[in-house]
Amino acid sequence: MVTFIIKRIITIVPIYLIAILITFGMIHLSPVDPAEAYFTAAHVQATDQLLEQKRQELGLDQPFLLQYIDTVLNISQFDFGTSYVTNKPVWDEIATRMPATIQLALCSLLIAIIVSVPLGFLAGIKRNGVMDHASRFLSFIGASIPSFWLGYLLIFFFSVKLDLFPVEGTGTWKHLVLPSITLAFPLIALYTRLLRTSVMENLQETYVLFARTRGIREYSIMGKHVLRIAISPMITGLGMNLGHLLTGTIIVEAVFSWPGLGRFFIDAIFNRDVPVIQAYVLLAAGAFLLGNLIVDLIQLYIDPRISRKGRQLP
Amino acid sequence: MFNLSCKRKWLLSAMFLIISITLFGCTNGSGNGSETEDNKDMVTFAWPRDIGDMNPHAYNPSQLFAQSMVYEPLVSYGENGELKPHLAESWDISEDGKEYVFHLREGVKFTDGTEFNAAVVKKNFDTIQDNMDLNGWLGFLSKIDQTEAVDTNTFKLTLTEPYYPTIQELAVVRPVRFLGEAGFPKDGDTSKGVEKAVGTGPWILDEHKTDEYAVFKRNENYWGDVPNAEKIKVKVIPDAETRLLAFEKGDLDLLYGEGIISIDAFNQLKASGSYETSVSEPIATRQLVMNTNKKQLSDERVRQALHYGFNKEAMVEGVTAGLEEKADYILPTNLPYTSAIDATEIEYNVNKAEQLLDEAGWKIPKGETVRQKDGKPLKIELMYDSAESVQKTMAETLQSEWAQIGVQLDIVGVELTTQVERFKANDFDLNFFSNYGAPYDPHTFVNIVATEGFGFNEAISAYPNKQELLDKITKVTQTTDEKERQQLYTEILGSLQEQGAIVPISYIKKIAVYQNGIADFTFPANRDEHPFTGIRKEQ
Repeated sequence: MVTFIIKRIITIVPIYLIAILITFGMIHLSPVDPAEAYFTAAHVQATDQLLEQKRQELGLDQPFLLQYIDTVLNISQFDFGTSYVTNKPVWDEIATRMPATIQLALCSLLIAIIVSVPLGFLAGIKRNGVMDHASRFLSFIGASIPSFWLGYLLIFFFSVKLDLFPVEGTGTWKHLVLPSITLAFPLIALYTRLLRTSVMENLQETYVLFARTRGIREYSIMGKHVLRIAISPMITGLGMNLGHLLTGTIIVEAVFSWPGLGRFFIDAIFNRDVPVIQAYVLLAAGAFLLGNLIVDLIQLYIDPRISRKGRQLP
Repeated sequence: MFNLSCKRKWLLSAMFLIISITLFGCTNGSGNGSETEDNKDMVTFAWPRDIGDMNPHAYNPSQLFAQSMVYEPLVSYGENGELKPHLAESWDISEDGKEYVFHLREGVKFTDGTEFNAAVVKKNFDTIQDNMDLNGWLGFLSKIDQTEAVDTNTFKLTLTEPYYPTIQELAVVRPVRFLGEAGFPKDGDTSKGVEKAVGTGPWILDEHKTDEYAVFKRNENYWGDVPNAEKIKVKVIPDAETRLLAFEKGDLDLLYGEGIISIDAFNQLKASGSYETSVSEPIATRQLVMNTNKKQLSDERVRQALHYGFNKEAMVEGVTAGLEEKADYILPTNLPYTSAIDATEIEYNVNKAEQLLDEAGWKIPKGETVRQKDGKPLKIELMYDSAESVQKTMAETLQSEWAQIGVQLDIVGVELTTQVERFKANDFDLNFFSNYGAPYDPHTFVNIVATEGFGFNEAISAYPNKQELLDKITKVTQTTDEKERQQLYTEILGSLQEQGAIVPISYIKKIAVYQNGIADFTFPANRDEHPFTGIRKEQ
């Protein structure tokens, strides 16, 4: 198993290098001249001489490959350059905002798991039962409601009308409730359906029949075998969404004034703050890779067939 | 079996870690008092972004209103453009208009107890001048020959050429405001940051959590009138709807600014009768700029026809629901030297518009709806900032209005940066623009009209008197004769407007909505200043 993990981590390196290459290449191809963007962000009317100086300073006059190697070396030391707008190292800016985003992401993931696992499982076991209808209803709503609107609705009812939670800001656990639910809602919709389908499929499998003929108690079959296997696609989905959550909380962060990465990134786009944009894209790539790695490890634990390829489940 | 329980432990501890991080984060900072504390004398308001570094010499992302709370200028900008003594008690200007001697107010102290004097003024000017690539945009700074601390309370500024707006430009919020000695970094260069936010202003930054909130407390030792409110809390709320909801819940005492909530929301709050609302004097003019380099717009009659051809009053009222006011002049008339612009007010007149277009040779062929001349249709493109709903709605209104007089208007929404780039590159037919307002205008406006590469200079190329206008613009900031200056402004602004390349649309205003307990709210005369001077929270 250890070798599997090591192998898995080693494969991340080339993928990440390619991610850097693509990001770097896209920024290179975009019509934005970083030197010009720098001066615009600093509100400086740049002369040609100043522009030329800045290009040299940023290494833009070097060949593409050399610039790429430079970037990779810098990034490996967590040096993402300096923000054009704030004039501070991008990594410092990101590091101060990261905890808030991670907190929100994990909290909503937790809510999503706590709600969707029992809901999806029960809906799958009793097709067309009460739980199934409830889960279907929730899924339709969750899939079709835009998160910003849901955010406003939650604020309006639970904060303005009922005064149970604060409208915005951070500080206490109460601040975390509404944004987490907003983020978790579409995930709950998705995972409930995923798990429901998966459970229903697994119920048709021969191992369930076999277990039943062996006289194993029903709840034991369901809990120990069906859920354990059926949950696999949901975990894959969770891993993919971890990346989304760590980088894609932009709208929810804006609605709830959450001091995370998303808002910082939006400002960077409007200001054409190239180093920040680059750092963010790479961070997103990192988050997705990490998410996938975690998924693989969890899958490995839950379903050992993955590392013992070819063997049948006992 | 051992293996399995080991794995399970591993998984359990991983989950425990995740949950504890989340929960730790949740409760982290819950002991922070100011968030829960209900301070009776604290006015809370919302702002879309963080206040930024409290550095008087820094630009974006530092917020102007916050800088103006802590740092003060030599001269302040009052109602109707009156320039009033502030940290300078008085000043003398030499006959040739090159030497400015400022007599500094005595007994003014920075918030750390140190004295405000000529030496510290000089030190601030030095670092501002060391960073001229950042600060060169402010006219008088690029004309400074030397600065001198004559004695403790006398500061002398010598310019290379006479430049009358010097006093007015000293009222801007950045970069000519004064940082105390203790705020300077070791090398004296503030462009990379300041050590401490030490100013002379009525407010002191008390607490700041980036992207969350900032609390300012009043400066009890302030040299002028000590503010009524004890504290001002700025909550960072980037989303307009959330600001509205927070206000309705009562978390905020005040909403203030430009475009801080939607026009609909403002009118809804106003109609509810539960809150106080107010609208400021005009702060800038929304203009429509026509590029006279384009063939169809090079004819003055076409430009005038377009101006006659839409119902401005109805459009402004309809689009902004009374938050903006129909503008007759290209600059608001409450700015210095702008009360007597010599230009005709143009009233909506479709017949006149049609007649002018006919005269210019643009006629409607039979069976067509769009006018033609030499076989070419009268097609014009209007570029607008797609993020600004007012511009978009106005563009759509113009499109339908001008269709009535046989003009085909294509409207194109672009990003703000693209809008600026295309304006600069002279790559547009029609564009929206608005002037900077107090305390920058009128001289900054006429200056950008003259500046090559900004957009206006090229756009007015078909004006037969363009060169004469440019000469007058150069002269207006140099003359030391007040009467001549007024005369020149009247002519420049009048001629710019009369020939129709710059069409005044509406006067932009600031809004404020506040809870009933808030009293004595006034809008600042300087567009960038904070509005908290007299504000009070009634118990």
